Amino acid sequence: MATKKTVKSVTKKRARAAKPRPSGRRAQNKLDIRARIVRAALDLFQTKGFDATTTKAIARKARIAEGTVFNYFKTKDDIALHFFEQEVDQAMATVRENPRLRNAPLEEKLFALVHSQLEYLARHERFIGAALIHALKPASPLGPFSHRSQELRHRYLGFVEELIEESSPKHERGPLSFFAPEVFWIYYLGVLLYWLNDSSEGKQNTLAFLDRSLNVGVSMFKRGWL
Amino acid sequence: MSPEKNTPTRRALAVASMGAGIAGSYLGYVLQRAFLGDAQSEAKLKSAHASAARRMRNEMQALRGPAMKLGQMLSLQTGILPDEVLAELASLQMEAPGMHPSLVRVQIKQGLGGEPEDIFKEFTPEPFAAASLGQVHRAVTREGEHVAVKVQYPGIRQAITNDFKLFRAVSKPAQASGHIPKAAIDEMEQQIIAETDYRREAENIEFFGKQLTPLAFVHIPRVLRAYSSDKVLTMSLMRGQHLEDFLARRPSQKLRDQLGANLCELFFFQVLKVEALHADPHWGNYLFLPDGGVWLVDFGCAKYLSPETVAYLRSVFLYPGATDSADFQRLLEKPYRLTGQKLHPATRRALVSFAENFYRKVYSPWPEKRQPFDFADKGFLEDYLRESKNLLRTKGVMIEYIFMARAEMGLYHTLHRLKARVPTSDIVRKYL
Repeated sequence: MATKKTVKSVTKKRARAAKPRPSGRRAQNKLDIRARIVRAALDLFQTKGFDATTTKAIARKARIAEGTVFNYFKTKDDIALHFFEQEVDQAMATVRENPRLRNAPLEEKLFALVHSQLEYLARHERFIGAALIHALKPASPLGPFSHRSQELRHRYLGFVEELIEESSPKHERGPLSFFAPEVFWIYYLGVLLYWLNDSSEGKQNTLAFLDRSLNVGVSMFKRGWL
Repeated sequence: MSPEKNTPTRRALAVASMGAGIAGSYLGYVLQRAFLGDAQSEAKLKSAHASAARRMRNEMQALRGPAMKLGQMLSLQTGILPDEVLAELASLQMEAPGMHPSLVRVQIKQGLGGEPEDIFKEFTPEPFAAASLGQVHRAVTREGEHVAVKVQYPGIRQAITNDFKLFRAVSKPAQASGHIPKAAIDEMEQQIIAETDYRREAENIEFFGKQLTPLAFVHIPRVLRAYSSDKVLTMSLMRGQHLEDFLARRPSQKLRDQLGANLCELFFFQVLKVEALHADPHWGNYLFLPDGGVWLVDFGCAKYLSPETVAYLRSVFLYPGATDSADFQRLLEKPYRLTGQKLHPATRRALVSFAENFYRKVYSPWPEKRQPFDFADKGFLEDYLRESKNLLRTKGVMIEYIFMARAEMGLYHTLHRLKARVPTSDIVRKYL
């Protein structure tokens, strides 16, 4: 029961994040600047690399004072994290807001989720590779043990859990099934690596890999092997 | 016993793991389905393929695809499979994993540059048939035309290429012994890879559409180029029934004879007049009409014959003289001479035996003995299989004929299922 509640709150939080209320011009202005900073930062991460990009350069590119950047983000890691939060939010929104997916099998929902993440990341492919490596450094705010990235992962996996729950309720699952979201997380990182290394036209191989592995994975899960 | 570093097995394993690691393998998919299949494959595409497949044992189903085609070639030569199974295998078609609507959407977006709803006025997310390497959806174009949209499974070309790499590596011994000529593998790979390019298929459709106009009973779809790419192929909607459904309605002997004659004529018209062949004569690729008309469905696999091959076939078809005559021997040797190969005595004997024990029975060269051949009796199929096995065992088969033989086998199989009586020799004579 407790999990179910968290799961619900995940969706609500997502809805709030995805559709900010237009409460006045000031707030809108703030959002615009924030978006500008993120866009400038991502452009630089993509072209210059994550490590070589300074907040100064970001400010210049966004055409604001360097101090203003700090009003929005403490570090450039925060900017990156913000980008990943947006990525996850929009992917969850894509799955939720598609009426066709409501009664789709689990493997299709998960496919739609991961694919829309990859589509979002595709514009910043070079940066994603760098960010993955950066995240592996101890004490990196992007790393798996930082508070904020844990929160993001929790939200993401909460959503995955929600999708699993929709297609196979808890009492019907195998005893180890509570691991499923964690396993999915590792799987997702694997897909990301595969995608980064995929040189096929239109990343067709990743599509095939994603489709097949989800079919196998979900089928194993449903048999209680997982 | 020095440890060999680069044994064929090791190489094979290396190639396999490399290929499978990067893009997966078609074979892998087939195996995967064999283990985990039930849920998905049952929900899968209702079509004549499915009903044809139902007749097969489950394990056999797992053998579909390019791997199946290779396996078929192998087994023909080693005789590991019983004839009936072989006959079934010969007419099976390559099938790709089913795609859910989300994946279809991605493929359409990549292939046509937009969401299905934006490209078409209507698009049915559920497929209505399986196709080679993909599946077919109904749609309505912006102009209001009802069409069939064939969508390809992602990464299939890479997967097939990987399988061939693996197959080349593991079949090294068989290649060395000449049981599987390297040229035969090349030919197969080329043809199968060609099937993954829907642009080429569009060209085939247009080619055959034009060439087959003299045959009034043949219908061929029209390609809508504006709605097609290498992974998506949009065609005008076809009518008619697949063989199984057609037979379920208990068509009269007269209609079956008519259809049989039409199919036979279609085959020889293609070989002798068009000099090219719609070479995947799986019965799922024919749609039958109650007036004896035939729709040709899948043009992925088309074989264009060389003029020399056609000239050779013309000279040996319905040859009336003695098969041990010097003249006939010369005819048999000709294609080998042209390609600089030698016709081995064993191959020559097998060819003569083929002519005597199969072709002369089914296609009588003598006008006075000419009567419609009854394909209902299974004996002729057994003759065909025995003789082709016999011929393949001599390792002397010309590569050109591999795909033609496939088409021929498919034709006989369909004629047998129709239990048709066909004036075979009269039809051949028309185009000699």
